[in-house]
Amino acid sequence: MVELLQNLIDGLGRGSIYALLALGVAVIFGVMHLLNFAHGELITVSGYAAFWAIEAGWSWTLTVPLVIVVSVLTSLVIERVAFSRVRGADQFTLLLTSFGVHFVVFAIFLLYVSASVKTFARPGWVTDTYALGSLRVEVYDTVVIAITLATLAGTTFVLQRTTFGLSLRAAAADFDTARLMGVRSDSVIRGAFALSGLLAGIASVFWLMRAGSTVPSAGIDPMLKGVLAALIGGLGSLRGAVVGGFALGMAEVLLRSRLPDSIASLTEGVVFLLIALLFIFRPQGLVSVDHAERV
Amino acid sequence: MFPDLRRDVLLPVAAGLILFGLFVGAGLLYQGQLGGQERLVTLALIDAVLVLGLQIYVGNTGILSFGHIGFGAIAGYAFALMAISPVEKAKRVADAPFGLADVHLGPWTSMGLALVVVLIVALVVGLGLARSGAESGAVSATVITLALLFVTHEVARNWPDLTGGDRAGLSFRIGGGLDSRAPLYLALLAAILSALLYARSRGGRLAVAAREDDLAARAMGVNPLVQQMVALLLSVAVVGMGAGLRVYERGSILPRDFFFNLTLVTLVMLIVGGRRSVSGALLGVAVITAGRELARRLGQDGFEFFGIGLDGAPLDWIFRENLKTVFLGVAMLGFMIWRPSGLLDDWDLDRWLHARLDRWRSRREDPQDGTRPELPSEVEPDDTDVLVVKGVGVSFGGFQALDEVGLEVGRTEVVGVIGPNGAGKTTLLNVVTGLVGSDTGRVELGEVDLTGMPSHQIARRGLVRTFQNLRLFGALTVRENIEVSALVASSTRQHRLPPDIDGLLLVAGLWDVRDRRARELDYGTSRRLELARAVAMAPSFLLLDEPTSGMSDAESLVMVDQVRRMAGVVGAGVVVIDHDLNFITGICDRITCLDRGQVIAVGSAAEVQADPVVQAAYLGSSAET
Amino acid sequence: MLEVSGLTTAYGEISALRDANLSVGSGEVVGLIGPNGAGKSTLLNTIAGLLVPRAGRVDFDGRDVTGRSPEELLRAGLALVPERRRIFVDLTVEENLRIGGVTIPATDRGDLLNEMAELFPVLRDKWTTSAGYLSGGEAQQLAIGRALMSRPRLLMMDEPSLGLAPILVDTVFQLVEALRDQGRTLLVVEQNATRMLEVADRAYVLRSGQVVAEGTGAELRSDERLFDMFVGN
Repeated sequence: MVELLQNLIDGLGRGSIYALLALGVAVIFGVMHLLNFAHGELITVSGYAAFWAIEAGWSWTLTVPLVIVVSVLTSLVIERVAFSRVRGADQFTLLLTSFGVHFVVFAIFLLYVSASVKTFARPGWVTDTYALGSLRVEVYDTVVIAITLATLAGTTFVLQRTTFGLSLRAAAADFDTARLMGVRSDSVIRGAFALSGLLAGIASVFWLMRAGSTVPSAGIDPMLKGVLAALIGGLGSLRGAVVGGFALGMAEVLLRSRLPDSIASLTEGVVFLLIALLFIFRPQGLVSVDHAERV
Repeated sequence: MFPDLRRDVLLPVAAGLILFGLFVGAGLLYQGQLGGQERLVTLALIDAVLVLGLQIYVGNTGILSFGHIGFGAIAGYAFALMAISPVEKAKRVADAPFGLADVHLGPWTSMGLALVVVLIVALVVGLGLARSGAESGAVSATVITLALLFVTHEVARNWPDLTGGDRAGLSFRIGGGLDSRAPLYLALLAAILSALLYARSRGGRLAVAAREDDLAARAMGVNPLVQQMVALLLSVAVVGMGAGLRVYERGSILPRDFFFNLTLVTLVMLIVGGRRSVSGALLGVAVITAGRELARRLGQDGFEFFGIGLDGAPLDWIFRENLKTVFLGVAMLGFMIWRPSGLLDDWDLDRWLHARLDRWRSRREDPQDGTRPELPSEVEPDDTDVLVVKGVGVSFGGFQALDEVGLEVGRTEVVGVIGPNGAGKTTLLNVVTGLVGSDTGRVELGEVDLTGMPSHQIARRGLVRTFQNLRLFGALTVRENIEVSALVASSTRQHRLPPDIDGLLLVAGLWDVRDRRARELDYGTSRRLELARAVAMAPSFLLLDEPTSGMSDAESLVMVDQVRRMAGVVGAGVVVIDHDLNFITGICDRITCLDRGQVIAVGSAAEVQADPVVQAAYLGSSAET
Repeated sequence: MLEVSGLTTAYGEISALRDANLSVGSGEVVGLIGPNGAGKSTLLNTIAGLLVPRAGRVDFDGRDVTGRSPEELLRAGLALVPERRRIFVDLTVEENLRIGGVTIPATDRGDLLNEMAELFPVLRDKWTTSAGYLSGGEAQQLAIGRALMSRPRLLMMDEPSLGLAPILVDTVFQLVEALRDQGRTLLVVEQNATRMLEVADRAYVLRSGQVVAEGTGAELRSDERLFDMFVGN
């Protein structure tokens, strides 16, 4: 029982980050029908920014906003340079474009920075734990879960109560009709990328705090988690992306603790296998977007 | 199997040999005259095999697969485990399961068995893809293949007893195992010929049809899932062969050899050249190999190119490696933005040869000499099956699209279905041809109950339809469009004696454009092609959905004649949906009028036109209140 | 207010609209009738900026607006209620209306929403309901209200009575009359030619992409050849 609760908290902690990443992917898919394989690069780029800042003596208090800002800016730049030119293209082209962006950013860092891992000091409290009954809870997990919930609440607020959020939701539902309402396509797409960048930035902060390092390939893992979680939840559903993120986090933790030792190292592989099975039997994802058909 | 032996076997084989010669020739030239590394050319040969395997699947089905290198990993490891001597294996995988540590087979036996293993896996994965409803452009299919890539990578990394794990891997004796290039040349030739012959075979054509338009392909009796499976198995066999050779050449295998990097490389090569063309695949390999080599050399000091020194900053080996990756990423991105269909699009050498040969032939021959085929004569229907639709009801959400609708058509009749917009005409057609399920009612052809059958089966049983929005197989020529139906009909409707394709082309007025791509045709011609394609199925009944939509009055009149003649060629009964009463009255014996999902009038053309209920339906009625 | 001349739009090889001319004066209700596939929707969609014409021009308020984007045209005062309504099913009734007024300053939007609630009592009752649960008639009203939120100078409607039961068709046309009485300028494509001609000041008959007849509502209504024009005799 204790172990289960422990797993629950660990899973929530992990799942929080995945949920933020997945939401960032889903927001872009909603308006552009583009699966962003380059989402992880936001973490890579902001990771290097963090590294340089900390090297230069910045405290984490200053580095956190830097990471977020860099993430948003990178997202906007990528949209401008690459994705704006393939709007409306077929799935094949869109998928390969985002794949290509991923590789270009990855390779640029490899080429112009360094292939080696850059480590930096993590904030002191990251490894602290405290007791909660008979559980050992990491301060880190607590902070991640709390901030994620706050971010999700904030995002929900923006989407539900602001004009921008309304435009975004309308554009995701029916882009052409949204334009008929006067919603500017450029603005709404850029806004989506900015929001996506913001979510990735927050996720990046936590990712970096945990990792304490960055490397050109740093973006691959978070990208995969974000993309897969968004897919699990059902592309096109923001709620689904969040659900998918938490589900993925939970699945990872539970599998790792339940699998017999001999194949514990295959957890990742098992996760991918389950994902494949999910798509075979339920290609639309976990959360069915229920559209009332009437019109 | 092959509609035209000369075009589909002889020329592809000839083209394949030429392509082989060009590719190998270029490689040898680079090696010999330009002082290139021998190993580079060897690797390029192997890459070509891998890319051709990928082309067979991605090019013909239109489904983006990230997983083929995962299949390569499976084949590579299987090969290594069987071919490496027990002495070498004892160093890494002494405890390998299934007694593999003691297995020692010759390299070619191992290769063969490895292919068997990977094909079994491919079969299972293919079933999964089919279950998920794979279709050109489907994200779920791509995700499943991506998952495959990751699963194989993870297993390879984390099962050291089987694979030697992440750092050590498996290896042959020092220096690898491949002594000569002969097997590579053989493999490359086999891969080229497989890719070309498959694409020109029945299977390849049906796969391409499904790629071009899934719905239309089903309406012509094609089952896309079956064709995709065939493409998958063949492509995996070729990729597996390439993977085995790669391992044999290198003399070792590590998980990272068959992961993202190789996936990126092979994908870029495929799309740069043109994924729909075998020539394109080879061109892509050549271009990217050359580009990477150039990028690598730029990292060296003082690279001389035709006497001009290009001075790259001194970068060590790692950076040279990375410049290659930048180059690949930029190539991928650049092409997707500016030329997504690749350098060659779907141009292929054998088709070009075929076109040139035809032109040369027609210039040599006297235009008076009729090389034109004979006009087919009208046939009587070979049976008296009646198409009966009764009591069909369909509702979407709370909306009743069809309510108790029925009609009957005999083999010699032409029946029209008219009604204002939203009356349910197309829904009725969709129900009859299996695109949409009905809540109530039956569709019967003679004694066969077609209710609820999938659309491709209904087409094979003799109900063939056309679409309101033109759905041609754009990348195929006019003739090839018709051949798709003919190929299906030849195996499912032999008893109906499908019409001769040449004759059909002539009747439809398509003879002069028979070798043009369908996407280049003007509208009227496109419509005639769609009709001809449907007729080539030797249907018992033709169901036409607004065949004159978008046509001028003059063109509609031509269509009247066309429909009559084409139906006559196969003795089919006809159901026509249209608004154009001019066209309908010109061709129909009886007319059923629908409004708001219900039948409101049935009768001859004159009767229905004069019916005030029909007039009110079209013009709308005055206020109720 | 609106002048269309020589407008030609094509989908690939199909000339859906050939050399169409029409005009709508301020305060007029103009109808566009004709059989299916005649190009009526194509005409509206081209004017609204969803399609780019091959030839011809569209002048709005004396300015050439040919080929401008839908967002710009809306800001110029041209609103379209699209065919089959296309309301945002995932948004509530209120949100649908709100997005219709996205180009209006926030301070005025509140007043406009109240106006719509007055004009469409049915919607007021379902203010916070998800739009996907509306019936066909309610959805049509929502679509019209949504377009009105942008304070258009010219309101275009594409087949507002499509798919509606006869009673609801009445409601729709009563609405059109109410809008006419408010002095609004309307351009309406309609399947139901009879009703449309009762409401319209003038109308155009389209067939196979071309304008084949033009006249006042009364003139066309009493024209015996109307059915023939529809069916192409």
